[in-house]
Amino acid sequence: MSDRIGFLLNGAPVSLPAGTSPTMTLLDWLRGPAGLTGTKEGCAEGDCGACTVVLEAADGGRAPINACLAMLGQMHGRAIRTVEGLRGEEGGPHPVQRRLAEADATQCGFCTPGIVMAAWAQAREGGDPHEALAGNLCRCTGYRPILDALAAMQDDRAPPPVLPVAGTACFTAEGQVFHHPASLAELLRLRAAHPAALLLAGGTDLGLLASEHRQRPAAVIALDAVPELQACTGDAAGLSIGAALPYGRLLPWLDGGLAPFAALLRRLGSRQIRSLGTLGGNLGTASPIGDALPVLLALGAGLRIASARGERACAVEEFLTGYRRTTLAPDEVILAIRLPRPAAGEILVCEKLSKRHDQDIAAVSGAFLLRVEAGRVAAARLAFGGMGPMAARARAAEAALTGAPLARPAFEAAAAALAQDVAPLSDWRGSAAYRLAAAQGLLRRLHWRIARPDLPLEVHAL
Amino acid sequence: MSILENAKQTVQGAAQAAMKKAIALAPDSWLPGGQPDPLIRQQHGLIGAPVSRLDGPLKVRGQAPFAAEFPLDGMVYAAIAFSAVAKGRIAALDLAAAEAAPGVVLVMTHANTPRLQPMPLFLTAEKAAGGDDLPVMQDDRIHWNGQPIAVVLAETQEQADHASSLIRATYEAEPATIAFAEAKAQGTEPGQFMGQPLKLEKGDAEAALAASPVSVDATYVTPRHNHNPIEPHAATLAWDGDRLLLHDASQAVAHTAWSLAQVFGIEEKQVRVTSPFVGGGFGSKTLWQHQVLGAAAAKLAGRPVRIALSREGMHRMIGGRTLTEQRVAIGAQPDGRFEAIIHTGTVAMTRHNALPEPFILPTRSAYAAGSLKLDVEVAYMDMLANTFMRAPGEAVGTFALECAIDELAAKLGMDPVELRIRNEPERDPVEGTPFSARHIVEAWRAGAERFGWSRRNPTPGAVRDGEWLVGLGCATATYPYYRMPGGAARLTLTRDGRVRVEIAAHEMGMGTATAQSQVVAERLGLPLEAVSFAYGDSSLPGVVLAGGSQQTAAIGAAVAAAHRVLVAELLQLAGNDSPLAGLKPEEVGGLDGGLAGLEEPARRESYASILARAGREAVVAEASAPPPLETQHWSMHSHGAMFCEARVNRITGEPRISRFLGSMDCGRILNAKTAASQFRGGIIMGLGLALMEETQFDERKGRIMNPSLAEYHVPVHMDVPEIDVIWTDIPDPHAPMGARGVGEIGITGTGAAVANAIFNATGRRVRDLPITLDKLL
Repeated sequence: MSDRIGFLLNGAPVSLPAGTSPTMTLLDWLRGPAGLTGTKEGCAEGDCGACTVVLEAADGGRAPINACLAMLGQMHGRAIRTVEGLRGEEGGPHPVQRRLAEADATQCGFCTPGIVMAAWAQAREGGDPHEALAGNLCRCTGYRPILDALAAMQDDRAPPPVLPVAGTACFTAEGQVFHHPASLAELLRLRAAHPAALLLAGGTDLGLLASEHRQRPAAVIALDAVPELQACTGDAAGLSIGAALPYGRLLPWLDGGLAPFAALLRRLGSRQIRSLGTLGGNLGTASPIGDALPVLLALGAGLRIASARGERACAVEEFLTGYRRTTLAPDEVILAIRLPRPAAGEILVCEKLSKRHDQDIAAVSGAFLLRVEAGRVAAARLAFGGMGPMAARARAAEAALTGAPLARPAFEAAAAALAQDVAPLSDWRGSAAYRLAAAQGLLRRLHWRIARPDLPLEVHAL
Repeated sequence: MSILENAKQTVQGAAQAAMKKAIALAPDSWLPGGQPDPLIRQQHGLIGAPVSRLDGPLKVRGQAPFAAEFPLDGMVYAAIAFSAVAKGRIAALDLAAAEAAPGVVLVMTHANTPRLQPMPLFLTAEKAAGGDDLPVMQDDRIHWNGQPIAVVLAETQEQADHASSLIRATYEAEPATIAFAEAKAQGTEPGQFMGQPLKLEKGDAEAALAASPVSVDATYVTPRHNHNPIEPHAATLAWDGDRLLLHDASQAVAHTAWSLAQVFGIEEKQVRVTSPFVGGGFGSKTLWQHQVLGAAAAKLAGRPVRIALSREGMHRMIGGRTLTEQRVAIGAQPDGRFEAIIHTGTVAMTRHNALPEPFILPTRSAYAAGSLKLDVEVAYMDMLANTFMRAPGEAVGTFALECAIDELAAKLGMDPVELRIRNEPERDPVEGTPFSARHIVEAWRAGAERFGWSRRNPTPGAVRDGEWLVGLGCATATYPYYRMPGGAARLTLTRDGRVRVEIAAHEMGMGTATAQSQVVAERLGLPLEAVSFAYGDSSLPGVVLAGGSQQTAAIGAAVAAAHRVLVAELLQLAGNDSPLAGLKPEEVGGLDGGLAGLEEPARRESYASILARAGREAVVAEASAPPPLETQHWSMHSHGAMFCEARVNRITGEPRISRFLGSMDCGRILNAKTAASQFRGGIIMGLGLALMEETQFDERKGRIMNPSLAEYHVPVHMDVPEIDVIWTDIPDPHAPMGARGVGEIGITGTGAAVANAIFNATGRRVRDLPITLDKLL
């Protein structure tokens, strides 16, 4: 079993000295011991993207991540590329770099290397350039020249890396142990033996312990090398999603009736966040405003939970019990999420209201599943986040809709009934009164979305 | 850049006509008694060309070294612990765990910090750069919530950060003034800005307001803001005996070197500050306590130190823009003429900093009015010292003033553009001096045409697009021309036809090195590649602040002065055997790699030939810029006409900006690419000010509650529409190169243009920033 953290850095193998803190962030390591200062620290909490580096997958995929949120132990067995690792022909600037410089897409230059790496990933992965830039803040240039340059990027067709084989590993440093199991059996054994250890699913929340709160967690069990937790399978009825599968790899599965969930996930953090963050992590932290949770509630998703004692099934609705509280026992891990597809006649609508379009925590989030039959609402599951101590269904509003004709009065009744379902707080994301009024508005909008799909409801890509 | 090209062509005719007139009329110039900068005459060539920034290739490769990236032998890393109370004293500091933590080299507190003088407070002396003048970890007193109480040095950043989190402090807290209402209740004092009282009365404005047939009178509130450049403050520093070398993120290298010398009781020349690249500053990158603490800890530990603030550390230690509460009242005749403008209010400040946010500055010169009453009162609080942030005064002052004008226009039933033009002053309303160049009316007309202002429906809430209410709004942007004393530059011309410019100026992303290289190339008649521009080092000539949008003028004037010395020296070297013989320095200029007669370009000799005949490898010329008397002779201001299209969702209250146009009048534009970027960047920060930026201050604890980019929202690119920028490009005959600064004006007027567009969309007048979704539902 390996006791050294090893990975590929810009194509070359690196093995860290024994005793290196496994919870040191990749960013601190790059800028400190590695002396690679092209990668910048702007916020150390995954907001600004100045520390963007790219994880290169064996299949050629490129996942941009925030180096400030990634713990070194988590990088074991990965291939990492930083801005120093980009080269053009004859050692000159890489075409991605050249294009950004020519487009005057750099001003003070501090956010630039992160944008270069996001662009390099985008050149291969494709997709909406707006989305590729969502995780990078710039305070000088005004984004437009960057976006223009990004839209014209071409893949360099560089071959994928040959990843090191990483079996189960365990890294220790003064006062710290970091388990990196590579099989489910090993994970469950470790979990039973170390119930106080932190489960590291992606690190977009937990990573803040090290990066922002300056802690050195004593015991961590990382989930990224357990094959069962990384798998996704699907059939006509729904998907089975490994709990530690990053959102970025989940997105391609969310087609058809689940497409509204995909659109919401594209506003869950940035690509950098989605390259690390996982549904299992979102469930495990059980934040009252976790973006994905209302969707899981509306769809009636279920969980497979495992321990050395065996496996059990649990509806998401029963799993969440209060503010950051769940029914997960100390020796258990979430194995997979069972996500049903909307059936024929069912419509899924997802909403997220935030002060800022991207990279913001929702003031109110909502997910609604409606079954419409013969001009009536045959069934309704309405779930909200940000409206109480936990994401929850709005049962009074559901009752007001269920069985009613698909017309304005039913949605007005549901909006009125919603006041009984929720207990929002006032904070700087929005007052209690705003949250209620906006959530009620979302129910009115739900009617329009179904009855008047031609109305422009969103302003995107301005 | 086709938009820019079009814009330039559109105004070209007007620009040329106006320039001729301006030069003909000019009895004076930026150099009093002299002529307008001869460069203004050159209409073609490098000036104004959209040259890509010269350091772009370095930056995209991650090879531009920022302050925290200078590797020094034996360097240790610093982390800072912060006070959790607003006022009182430290009763006890438990350092045992921190000192025992892995990798720790030193824990420094008030008990072992070397004795230091306070930082000289910014603006209190020519080279003073300190954000506050409090003792720096010299005693157990606490002055604000977030004050540094300990510095940990360790072998890695992670070890230093971790150890600093283990420090336990207990305090004897004392009652603190941390609520704005309480501070006001304790009494206010008139604010002073650069030695002048922020108070002015012309006529009896209150009486004129009361007698006016139409009037508005309202209160506007703007919150605290933080600069939040993407690069946090950082310094890497080392002592060599009693000499200090500091690699800083600075917009004031010479100021910082002098100020640090005062703090440590050494000679100015014993401190060298470099700052080759700065990851944004916006007014924040001056001298704050972290550089002092880093240098003190390095002295104590006997090792070089890297002190890089976390994003939280920035919010705790680096001041931002303070809050304002402003009353604007305007009395007018039914035809729109202003009889009275009253702009008064209160700002929060500390007893140990120099800036009461001077929100009345734009009102001094923006409009003609029969009477004026302006006043900034200060309420003192126990908090982090506030400071200059992009367009201090104008950014928030124009929000109140320009919203009030929009409110008045609605009351009068007048078009807000016409109302502004109707009140255009002929001379400076306060000083009575003539304007050096004022073409705001042209900017309004060109902007209105391009934006499609005539299609605006004046009835609020009348335009809908599905769920969205759509509105148009406008506002005036304005920022003064400044040029501070102290500019000096050195030019070294070598026989190979290259010139090196040296000046202790700064590059924070504005494109200084690029634009100034263009100017120097044009002035000397050299290709751009023949110019190298050295800056960002206190050992170079000049005291040049990158602030107040004055760096362009300060460098331009200093280089022009050095150039005159250079030309005189070259003519002397050329002697009587040269075609130039007999020409005076003011009769020659740079042309095709040499000097030539301005009136007889055929009389020319190349630099290479002059130097070769004189047997010289190089000529060095150094000179100081003349004092900035032009600002005494003329009222010098840049302007902009800002147009905004806003959409507000009827269901959710979400505001979105769908179009924005800035039509600018900032004198001559030196580089179309970098200037457009500066305008856009300013406008985007103005969109942030309008819609999302707010430093949350807990009035129960005196603590900043959102010290992060997760909770202090700066615009992401999806918040930013396509921003169109055009400009008059009419040179100011009294400014070097005819150019006024462009760095700050973009943020002015923008907040009001957004608020006015949102009013037009919804009928809702939001007078407290930011305009968030919950205020619109």
